[in-house]
Amino acid sequence: MTTAIPTIAEAARQIAAKKLSPVELTKACLDRVHAHDERLHAFVHLTEERALAEARAAEAAIMASGPKGPLHGIPIGLKDIVDTKGIPTTCQSKLLQDNIPDADATCAENLNAAGSVLMGKLTTHEFADGGPSFDLPRPPARNPWNTDHFTAGSSSGTGAAVAAGMILCGIGTDTGGSIRGPAAYCGIAGLKPTYGLVSRAGVAPAAYSLDHIGPMAWTAADCALMLQALAGHDPRDPASAKRPIPDYAASLGGRIMGAKIGVIHHFHETDHKVSDDTQRAITAAIDTLRSLGAEICEVQLSPLQDWNACGSLISIVERAAAYEEWSRTRLGDFGERMRTRLMLGAFVSGVDYLQAVRRRRELRAELKAAMADLDVVVTAVFPGEAPPIDALPKWDVFQQPSFMMPFNVAGYPAMSLCSGFGAKGLPLAIQLVGKPFQEATVLRIADAFEKATQFRDRRPLAA
Amino acid sequence: MPIPIDESAFGYLLARAGLTLTDAEKAELKSVCDGIATMAERVRKPRGRMAEPALTYGFADEDLQ
Repeated sequence: MTTAIPTIAEAARQIAAKKLSPVELTKACLDRVHAHDERLHAFVHLTEERALAEARAAEAAIMASGPKGPLHGIPIGLKDIVDTKGIPTTCQSKLLQDNIPDADATCAENLNAAGSVLMGKLTTHEFADGGPSFDLPRPPARNPWNTDHFTAGSSSGTGAAVAAGMILCGIGTDTGGSIRGPAAYCGIAGLKPTYGLVSRAGVAPAAYSLDHIGPMAWTAADCALMLQALAGHDPRDPASAKRPIPDYAASLGGRIMGAKIGVIHHFHETDHKVSDDTQRAITAAIDTLRSLGAEICEVQLSPLQDWNACGSLISIVERAAAYEEWSRTRLGDFGERMRTRLMLGAFVSGVDYLQAVRRRRELRAELKAAMADLDVVVTAVFPGEAPPIDALPKWDVFQQPSFMMPFNVAGYPAMSLCSGFGAKGLPLAIQLVGKPFQEATVLRIADAFEKATQFRDRRPLAA
Repeated sequence: MPIPIDESAFGYLLARAGLTLTDAEKAELKSVCDGIATMAERVRKPRGRMAEPALTYGFADEDLQ
């Protein structure tokens, strides 16, 4: 175990004080990539020379006039469905092996403008769906806590790379849990922001109305620093919101005395019962929040299965529409898991889809009413620890309702936080869900939870 | 309860979607069709004709110029 890997907040303070060199920090991250990525497969494309050049430029600029912000000189990674100018963006698909975009996605542009150091492109399930697959151009990422186990997906490389200290933060995308899932299994923090807060422009779609882009980092505080660079209106994204952007870091460190927290017990105790370890971790997390002064109450929503039916139907259709042309002409070039997901689109009618979208409005109204007097709600992220990577059901969408999909359906901000470790020594997690555009509240409560527990002191062996 | 899909409807839907599948893929897909039908039943509620869908997008600047 090691705790030598700094958080962004720690590194930024040291860089600003000229006690830490961005070049040395980048080299330390590259050393960890070289030491561990042969087993972890977190990177699809390492941009080592560019990273060192950016780190040297950051160092020179900081020495001359100080850092432009907390991400200046910080090593980051981007999920390989994020367009990067001049750098291959393959979506982990045979269909895009030669794709080199001529422009950056807005999120990549924003992180670049903040002075971050791009270490490379990170492993994903093919087009952010359907994994893990062993028939893609690159192997799936492995969990740094135990490489026989799954990272979850689809932001699998980001989860593994952050946990292993190869980068200090990275971009994930989340259509039904693809930020929060890998954050949970890899023991890091991951925030799916409110729909529309972070631009999707230049990021390959999985399902247009469910897709979210967000930060993944070791701590909630680091997610806040990253979100600051990402949030904001973008005319390139038709769903981008025009909202004032608060100072997320300024919301941290405060007390949560009197915060009102609802627990959706039936999601994880009845609708999809979690393991004993996970239940104990959720109960302990609620006790911790209560001990910090939060007021806890129970929340009742429609069954988890209703939320998942709604989200899955929308997701199936929007994905099938996005990739219809290739499905008709190059179906065999997709990996098996993505191929089978695409086929499902043939069996959802237009009326089925619109009934799901009508149901979505009802479910969102239900969540709004349930949260009227609350700051956040809490539930599980997964039913247990990460399973072995070679023992995953192919059709889990029909068998195991997701605890994360409800908040893609609603578009509400939701965050995964490490809440302990299970019997196998793998991370457990809780999910905090806020009201639309209330990321600052989610981050404040998450930060207080992390500081009241010791789960951030433990890094995986691979780090 | 969802109505099980028959061979001709199954073939028609695949053809309409332009999908060319192997026999093994067809068999696997057929085995999960009931799961989709169950989901489709779940989102149907008595809500009347005036219940609107959720909207994803508002008017963008370019729509108002």
